Amino acid sequence: MPAAPRSNRNRIILIVIIILCVTIVTLYVRESDKGPLHKIQNFFLDLVSPVSNAFAKIFRPIKDGVVNLFHLPSLAKERADLQKQVAELQRQRIETKEMESNLEELKRLLNWTEQQAEIQTVGADIIGQSPNNWQRLMIINRGSASGVQKYMSVVTDQGLVGRLISVGSRTSVVELITDSRSEIGARDQRSRETGIVAGKNDSTLRLTPMKEDADLKTGDVVETSGLGGTCPPGIPLGKITKVTNRSSGLTRYVEVKPYTDFSTLDKVLVVITPEPESVILREQQ
Amino acid sequence: MSRNRQIFLMVVVVLAFVLQLSVLPQFKLLGVQPDLILVVAVVVAVQDGPVAGAVVGFCGGLLQDIASPQLMGVSALTKTLAAYCAGMMKDFFMTYSILLPVLLVFLATIFEMGAHQVVMVVLGQESLPPFKITAVLAESLYNVLAVLVVYPFMRRFKFLPKEDSVILTKPSKT
Repeated sequence: MPAAPRSNRNRIILIVIIILCVTIVTLYVRESDKGPLHKIQNFFLDLVSPVSNAFAKIFRPIKDGVVNLFHLPSLAKERADLQKQVAELQRQRIETKEMESNLEELKRLLNWTEQQAEIQTVGADIIGQSPNNWQRLMIINRGSASGVQKYMSVVTDQGLVGRLISVGSRTSVVELITDSRSEIGARDQRSRETGIVAGKNDSTLRLTPMKEDADLKTGDVVETSGLGGTCPPGIPLGKITKVTNRSSGLTRYVEVKPYTDFSTLDKVLVVITPEPESVILREQQ
Repeated sequence: MSRNRQIFLMVVVVLAFVLQLSVLPQFKLLGVQPDLILVVAVVVAVQDGPVAGAVVGFCGGLLQDIASPQLMGVSALTKTLAAYCAGMMKDFFMTYSILLPVLLVFLATIFEMGAHQVVMVVLGQESLPPFKITAVLAESLYNVLAVLVVYPFMRRFKFLPKEDSVILTKPSKT
């Protein structure tokens, strides 16, 4: 019967293999790092590592492709989440910039009010612009409830902005100094010559001096004179950019560039003056 | 077993070893890769008997031990035992379906990983990571996928002896 010897042979082979394995394990554990088995292992490791690295480089694109394929549904979700995050971060960034800008503006206004200690002011946000091109108006979020009244001056740290021509309970309309109907009592800071600064519905102002031979030069600073009682004196209006003697000799044309940049205006201060409207009315009478 | 089959098995073991070291590490799923040498050893045990499987497991395991920074001889021992046990268990199942090697590879993987862990603990290899059932199951399933390719491939190269192949030919009409 041949099956029995074959079975015995198989058992012997198995036992030999197991003994061989145990021997290898024992020798490996007992020998030092410089033993022959360790040397063989190190030799093969040195041999195999570059090959393994080379294969890793070769298969990296395939592997990435397969991995991406498996992660396709999660990648789509991840992409949507990231897009949401980007949108949210962009919104936050815009908000932060807006807040930084507001803060800067408020700091400047605060500095200005600290310098002008005798002037009482109320801070206001610009909430609207004139709806047409032939008026230079702005709407602010302060009204009679905040103590502001008609004809009160509106300023920034840069200079005069305009004055209130309409006051509601919560909002007011500011007539900018560039509006063609605006006329402000002014003076040359250097020569103290007085005049009237009027708007032209563009980016510059026109100064009409009281005296025809007034001492006015290009580069002079023009400020409010305080005459008329609606606007405190000494608030900068702008700088003289052009002085032209008209050929007719009747009136000199003096162009003033306002200090205030109306296009970037966001926050303003309303100067609280005692009953400016009554002053205007008295003058009119 | 014919000499051609023996040569074929040697080539397959070396090929499995090369793939195990080079290609398969690039295709890890859940942090594990298939143990192609174990799969080949179990398939040989099913197709050629437990001792042939044990020899293949020993040779492949030893190659794996030599070419990787691990305790030499442990993989050889565990793969030998796993393949031999798989070959022995084959006789309990009266089927030649591919489900047999699939089941045996699944069980052999669990056995081999468990045995490997036990040997490591006995030898005091404390730096080893703890035994993870998820890793064992993942590798078992990965090996099952591998056997679906390896088993039909190895059955094509049976290299039956001449007297056996005569039986398989059609009888002549005369």
